[in-house]
Order: sequence, then C-alpha cells, then structure tokens
Amino acid sequence: MQRLPKIVRILAVISFTVVVVLFAALIVNSFQNSGKPLSSLAPEGPSAESIQRLVIPVTSIAGIVFVLVIGAIVFITWKFRERKDSDPDEFPSQIHGKTTLEIGWTILPALILAGIAVGTVLTIINLNREEPNSIQVQVAGQQWWWQYKYDVNNDGNFDGPEDITTSTEMVVPAGRPIQVTTTSNDVIHSFWIPGLNGKRDAVPGLRNPLKLQADEPGVFRGQCTEFCGLSHANMRMLVRAVSTSDYDGWVRNQLKDHAADPTDPVAAEGKKVWLALCAQCHVINGINDVKMKETKPPLVSGVAPNLTHLMTRGTFVGSIFNLYEPVSSDGSPLLMSDVAAAGNPGAALTGGKVNTATVNRVTLEAWLRNAPALKPMYPQGGRGMPNLNLTEEQIDQLVAFLETLN
Amino acid sequence: MALTEVRPLALPSGDSNDGYTPTGVFTRPTAETGPRSWVTTVDHKKIGIMYGAAAIFFFIIGGAEALLIRMQLWAPRGSLLSANLYNQVYTMHGTTMVFLVVMPIGAAFANYLIPLQIGARDVAFPRINAFSFWAFLGGGVFLNSSWLLGGGADGGWFMYAPNSGVVFSPTNGVDFWNLGLIITGIASLTGAVNLIVTVLNMRAPGMTLMRMPIFTWMALVSQFLLLFAIPVLTSAQVLLMLDRLFGANFFNVAKGANPLLWEHLFWIFGHPEVYLMILPAFGLVSEILPTFARKPIFGYPFIVFSGIAIGFMGWGVWAHHMFVSGIGPISVTAFSLTTMFIAVPTGVKILNWTATMWGGKLNFSAPMLFSIGLVTMFTIGGLSGVMHSVSPMDTQQTDTYFIVAHFHYVLFGGAFFGFMGGFYFYWPKVFGYMLNESIGKANFWLMLLGFNLTFAPMHVLGLQGMSRRIYTYDAGYGFEFWNKVATIGAFTLASSIALFIFNIFYSKSKAKNLPPVGPDPWDSRTIEWMVPSPTPAYNFDPIPTVTRVDDFWYRKYGETKDGKLVRIASTAEVAQQRNDGKGVHLPSPSYWPIVLAFGLPIVAYGLIFSLWLALIGGIVFVAALYGWIMEPPDDPDKAHDDHGPEAHASDGGDAAVSDSADAVKEVETVG
Repeated sequence: MQRLPKIVRILAVISFTVVVVLFAALIVNSFQNSGKPLSSLAPEGPSAESIQRLVIPVTSIAGIVFVLVIGAIVFITWKFRERKDSDPDEFPSQIHGKTTLEIGWTILPALILAGIAVGTVLTIINLNREEPNSIQVQVAGQQWWWQYKYDVNNDGNFDGPEDITTSTEMVVPAGRPIQVTTTSNDVIHSFWIPGLNGKRDAVPGLRNPLKLQADEPGVFRGQCTEFCGLSHANMRMLVRAVSTSDYDGWVRNQLKDHAADPTDPVAAEGKKVWLALCAQCHVINGINDVKMKETKPPLVSGVAPNLTHLMTRGTFVGSIFNLYEPVSSDGSPLLMSDVAAAGNPGAALTGGKVNTATVNRVTLEAWLRNAPALKPMYPQGGRGMPNLNLTEEQIDQLVAFLETLN
Repeated sequence: MALTEVRPLALPSGDSNDGYTPTGVFTRPTAETGPRSWVTTVDHKKIGIMYGAAAIFFFIIGGAEALLIRMQLWAPRGSLLSANLYNQVYTMHGTTMVFLVVMPIGAAFANYLIPLQIGARDVAFPRINAFSFWAFLGGGVFLNSSWLLGGGADGGWFMYAPNSGVVFSPTNGVDFWNLGLIITGIASLTGAVNLIVTVLNMRAPGMTLMRMPIFTWMALVSQFLLLFAIPVLTSAQVLLMLDRLFGANFFNVAKGANPLLWEHLFWIFGHPEVYLMILPAFGLVSEILPTFARKPIFGYPFIVFSGIAIGFMGWGVWAHHMFVSGIGPISVTAFSLTTMFIAVPTGVKILNWTATMWGGKLNFSAPMLFSIGLVTMFTIGGLSGVMHSVSPMDTQQTDTYFIVAHFHYVLFGGAFFGFMGGFYFYWPKVFGYMLNESIGKANFWLMLLGFNLTFAPMHVLGLQGMSRRIYTYDAGYGFEFWNKVATIGAFTLASSIALFIFNIFYSKSKAKNLPPVGPDPWDSRTIEWMVPSPTPAYNFDPIPTVTRVDDFWYRKYGETKDGKLVRIASTAEVAQQRNDGKGVHLPSPSYWPIVLAFGLPIVAYGLIFSLWLALIGGIVFVAALYGWIMEPPDDPDKAHDDHGPEAHASDGGDAAVSDSADAVKEVETVG
C-alpha cells in the first residue's frame, strides 16, 4: 500500500473528530429547548405531550440502532483493515452468506417495528378522539395571515351573529380543549403550534380537524409550514392562552361592534380616511360588515383581516410585528420575535382601555406608510396590502382611529 | 432463457447489402472520433459519459443554487436574495438535483455498465438510447433557460396545486418547470424501456438473472420504477399544463377541484422516485464493497430480493408525504404501517453490506471509503425515515428542516456518496486512467466533513421548529448558531466537489507518465473488468460465457470447499485483448435522435410563447421521425463476422502479452 501524504491523514483525523463532536453537540442541544419558542420538543399541551411520549422511545430505539450499526462498522473497518505487512496473496475466508443470519435480521427489525407500530396506532387513535365540551374554532389560511372564527353558540355555524370572526391571534382558555377545523381561502397552508400539537394542512375546499389545548396560560407561536407563495416565511400564528375569566371577557368584548363614532376629533378624521381607503378590503363590524358581505371580496384570498378589535391583539401583520411593547430600542420597525416577548395588549384584551403609551407606533406607522416594504406581498394581484401613499397627517389620523378599536 | 442465446446485434454475415443505396440525409454518419461522433453516437458508453458530464454540469448549477440558499440563511433576515428570488432558487435547486443530477447520474452508470455487466455489445435500442439522452439534455436546458426568460419556477419541486396555478404564480416559471420535466420524463421513459429490454434479452450466454451483478439488478429495479412512476407525474403535469396554458380547471378549487388530487399524483410518482434514485447507488456499493473486502457479497439473493421488495413496497407508501394534509386517520394509519415496514428490506441491505466487510481484508481505497460513507450516512437517513413513519411524530417534523436533513442524508449521504464511489471505481474502466488516490481520499474526508456539517445540524433546527422553504428567519428562535454551521458546511462540501473536479484534470495530466491501467486495476469480480480499459467500442470480443456470479473473479481464482481462495490464472491470462474491432458488427451512428429530441423543447417554447413555434417544433419532430425510419438499418460496408463464443476454442482471449501483464501488476500496488 502506498503511504498516504501526511496532510490527507491529518484531514481524515480532523474530519472524523469534528463529525463525532458535532453529533454529540447536536444530541446535547436537542435537550436545550428554552428560548426556542417553536421547538417541537417542549410540549405544553396534552396532544403535543402524547406525541412526545412516542418521540422518546422511538428516538431511543433509533439511537441504539444507530450506535450499534455505526459502532459495528467502525469496529469492522479497524479490525479487518488490510495490514501493511500482510501477504497480498493471502485472502480472507470466502463466506457467501448465511440464511439463518438473514432470516434473523429480517425478523428482528420487523419485531421492533411492530412494537413501534402498536404505540403509533394507539397515539393516532388518541389524537383523533374528539374531546367533549370543546370550543369550536375554524382556522382559515390565506396569503399570508390567519383568520379565526369561533362558533360561540355552538350551533355548527361560524358566521352567525353570535359568533366571532377575528384574525392574527387565536385566544383560548388554558386547560380547555379546542377543536380546530383548518381550511384555506386560496392555496394550501399548514397550521402548526409546535408546543400544543403537530401541524395540520389548511387545504382550500377541505375541513381538517386538529385538537389543541394549552396546559397553562401563555403565548404559543407557530409558523406556516406548507409553502404558500411569496411570503410563506412571514406567515406566523400566535395562540394566546388566557385564564377562563379573561377568555369569557374577551368573548363578550369580541361580540360587540364599533358603530359609534370616535369622540377624539383626530380619530374621527381617521375614521373618514379608513372608510375612504381601508374599508375596500378590511371590515370593522358595525361599520362596513354588511356591505362587505354583499360585495364580492376584492382579494383573491377572500378578505383582509377583520379589524373590529384590532387593539385587543398584541401583534399584527400576521403576527410578525408587535402591536404593543416591547418594541425595539432603536425605533426601527421590528419583527415580533426580535424581542423576548410578544406584544401585550394589557387590559385591552378584554375590551379595557387601550394604553396608547405602550402601542408600537413606530412599526404601525411604517406599515401604513408603505406596507409592501415591510413584508413581501403581491398587491397588484390582489394578494396583500398595497402602498396607499398616505400623507403623514392621514397616518396620524388613522393611527388615532385604530387605537380606538379595543 | 432461450433469447439470450441469440445475439441480436450479430446479423448473419454478408446479409445486409440488398442493393439499396441511400443518399443525402439518409446516409448514416460515420465519424468515430471528434465532436461529430459524440453528437451522432449511439454507443451506450459515449451516451453514458455524456449523461455523466451533463449531470455534473447541472450539479454545478444546482450546487451554486444551494450555496445561495445557505448564504441567505447564514444570519437572521438575510438580504442576499429577495423572497421572490429565494423561492425560485430553492425550487430550481430541488428540481435540478432530483431530475437533472441524481437521476441522470444513475442513468449514466446504468447506460455504461449494464451492457458491460451482462456481456452485451450495446443496449437493445441504441438510437432510442441516444434520443433519451438528448431529450434529457434538451429538457434540462429548457428548464434552466427560464432564468433568462422571466425567472424560474417558484412553487417548490413538489409544485402543489393550487399555488402552482396561473393566479398564484403568474410568471412562466412554472410552465418551464412543467414542460421541461415532461420532456425529461419522456427521456426517462424511453431510457427505462430500453434498459429493461436490454437486461431481459441481451445477456451473454450463461448470464441467468441470478448471476447478474447486483448493480445491474438494482438498476433494473429502478428502471421498472421509472417505467411505472414517470407516467403518473407526466399525467399530473399534463393536467397542470392544461390548467395553466389552456384555462382548464383540474386544480381550480372554485370550480370544485380537490387540491389533494395533485398531491396524490405527485407522490405516487414521488416516492418510487426516491427509491429509483437510491437503488443504482446501492448497486454500485454492492460492487465496490466485495472488491475491496476481497470477499464475495454477503447474501447475494437477499440483497437482490430486498431490492425487488423495496421496488414493490415503494408503491404503497406515497401518502406518508401527506400525513398532515387531511387524508383521514384510517389512511394515515395504513400508510404509517407500510412505511415502517419498508425499513425492513432496507435494513437487510445495510446488514448484508456490513457482513460483507466482516472478516474481510479491507483496502481503504477511495471507492471503498465512499461506499462505507454511504452505508453509514444512509443508515442515519434510514433511521430518521423510520421516525417519520410514526405519523404522530411526523406531524411535528414534516415540512421542517428535519425533513431536509433526512432526505439529504438519503440522497447525498446515500445516493451521491455511492456515485462518488462509482466515479472513483469505474474511472479507469471508462477513461483509461486512475484518479489520484491520495486526492481521492482527501476528497472523501472533506466531503464527509462538509456533508455532516451542512446537514446534521438541520435535524436539530427542524425539531426546534425551523420550517422549510422560508427565505428568512428571525432572531429569537434559536436558529442562528446551527444555520451558521450549516453554511460553513455547505462551502466545505463545495470545496470537496471542487477537489474532485481538480482530481479529474490533475490525474489526466499525470496519467501520461504512468503505465496503462490494464483491464482490471482493482482485482475486481464482474465481467466488465475483463475488457480493456478504456472499454473498446465493441465491448467484448468474444462474448464471454458466464458460469456463475462474479464470473470474472472465478476465472482468476478458485475456491476450495472450506472457503480458501487459490489463484488459478493471472488477470492478463483471462482478460480480453484489445483488437482492431474489425469484424464486429456495431450499430451505426445516426443524426436523427438529436434532431427528434430537440423538436421537443421547440414545441415547449411554442406552448409558452406562440403556438406557431410549437407548430415548427412539431414539424421538426415529425421530420425527424421520418428520417429515423427512412435511414438505412446499417452501414453495408461493415463486416458481420460471427464472433460468438462458439467461434473460439476458448473465450479467455489470446495469450497475454507480457508487458501489459507488468502494467497490471504495477497498478495493483497503487493505493
């Protein structure tokens, strides 16, 4: 055998070592899930927990098989390597196969897999069992945000006068099962809150079920996981789990509409701007909801987000921006996750007064000034918000009006 | 196997000149060297080389796209690419790597090796073989020409409806994708039919199915998968074409379409596709491991039958790509279970390869290193595949970077490592010079390093929530560190590819001063190694008679009852000598395959831009068909001596020339 140049041997040692260290680091890192709000390995609801109960044994079995196979190969390559002093005419014993071994290593993996199959089937049954006393929520994806409809009176209809239509954030009571139905108004999206359950595609024309339940109050984030066009990366979900009393207050407030004119004169001017420009696509219940239902939606997607209770949400623009503090220190428009926490609407969540001092005006104004600059969209094709070329005065008036939408 | 006794390429002597003298374009080209010989060739070896060269060309394009993706994801909110451009780049990266790199490299090996491994002089339909290649190249160039004509496709390589519709993707990118892949699909189909017929009908005397080299077996299974899978994709694509270009409503939800139709059709194609990409690499490894372990493959029939089992079971697992798309819990359960159990035949292969190495005398040449790389890296991809088959887990993992990690371990760690091993192993047979072994080993270690740095972190990124196909991610999700590692890995990987390409030219320049490699530089086992290197145009003269698996090995070595090997003949004694090729009938070159194939992209451009152009393309196509039919079957001046094994007292070739025997010895000491 020709002796290898030293550099190749050094490269081999470096490569082997780095790969071993890399694998070890990755295994350790997969247990470190704090500060990773999208991690699927930190379940915070019963469905995600039942998946996690499968992840641990299956991954362990896979890990054991991995160690055994790779270990065997490393051992074999070391033990049976051709020695430098070996006789080139000497050959190893010529074994063509062994049927008993073959049958053994056909049956053994099949048995292990059969065991995994039992756990899999049981979990599938568990995940598909509908919980009694569930809150019914229909989740509809469209490019590139989510709409949520609550069947509050449980009559099987999501569009009745007693029902809620909201967007961007899904508010749920902690500890209570939510029966989600996913659908889409344009292309296929996928609804995924990793902390609460696996994902479910939102397919136009189909109604797919998904159970969600949060153990504790908190904010659970998600990311659209089925490629849905230009701004797929910016299509986020946010589930806000609150106490039962807060949830009841939220529902009561959501059922109100905003027919009354604002008392503040600037906001009243803003309402005029809103009616002239924004109302072509957006709805505020009590102002233009009836008209919107009569006219054909101008968007391919159906409608733009319902803004009736905008200020009850901590985030906006499909949950990529905080609507409330915390905001960036340098005043630049920032994405929600650049800061540790999602925006907090405070008392406004249940219809209380909007604390205008905590509103993220910088980003809100930037959005009104030129929306497509902050998020890639396709307004010329009716998908996403266009640049409305508002004056600074109009923007101030609009913001004042929007801040009344608690 | 009566058919194998007849050698279809050998017409009875002097029987072809019936007085018909073709003229003009109907004469057949005669060039045997130079550019024209490549354009008109019907030689399976030249076609195989062209498949490989074209695939490496597309690999560089697809690799550049991969580097753009990794640069964009280096840090949160990367601004190298816009969202629109990123979506095009990742779509074209996936499409290019699947259809224009991995599949054609498989086709390159299959084309070059199958006739050699079964003892044939060419494939069954040599002109159709040339047509397959030119149609593939035309489709690939057409697909990539979209970059210059308004941008690439932007719907992902899976092109889910209705996002692929004209409303949501109004540029022509999707049309280029759609029509380009219909053309490469035609190429794959004709190629599959050709190779299946070749294997079933053109084996040398004595080459029963269960004596075929494992590469030929695996390539055969993958051609059957192509034969049945490609039409499903093509059907779906024709529906999409009618939707996009002619206003049909197959995927228009507003008119009552169900978008899952596309998903089902795509994955009924798409999952067998995975196996047909990996099986040729499995075959290569099954050739390389025994050669460098100096032992026969462990459990030949089990490896063959597990490959066939994978081929069959591969049809029953497609909906595991759709666990979250709303197919209902019963379907999910069924496909979950079928997917789990396809791991069994795959595991059998891994264990048989491991057992092949056990007790061997392992020579860690570059091909061997890449093969061991395949076995280990594919094991990782296989195990993460089992994790996906557990559908509740898959609902957390699907469409995240965990999946990206998984299929790169399968397709790069599996298929591509196997191909690299195949390149190093067969390079002397194909080009007549060895690739430098030291550079080859450095190539392997650099590739192993870069590959793992790139794709191993994606497992954790995916489990911790990073979605696929996102052009950007934000700070605060904990994605930063591993994305940086992956990007560094991608450039390491790219440098290993650059080293491989450097090795090709470096070794070629050094080869002038080295003795010729001889027919059998690795002391190999199967009959392709008994022909001179590089392989002469006629492959075998005479056609060998095969008596067992690893026939060539047992011409060199005898085996005692207790499994001991005894050398019974030197390589030079049993290898075939290069002769002048006179007297061997070979199919004549033809202009028409390339003309016929290039009619297709013209039709496709016409469908997008102007139907008049499509008409011109159609005329070219029909004219080429006429030319194809009308050209004479043969060059009447070529000889038709019968060169079957019965024409020679011994098929072991003439006595060895002593200097070539020395050359063989010389090479054996390398590496």
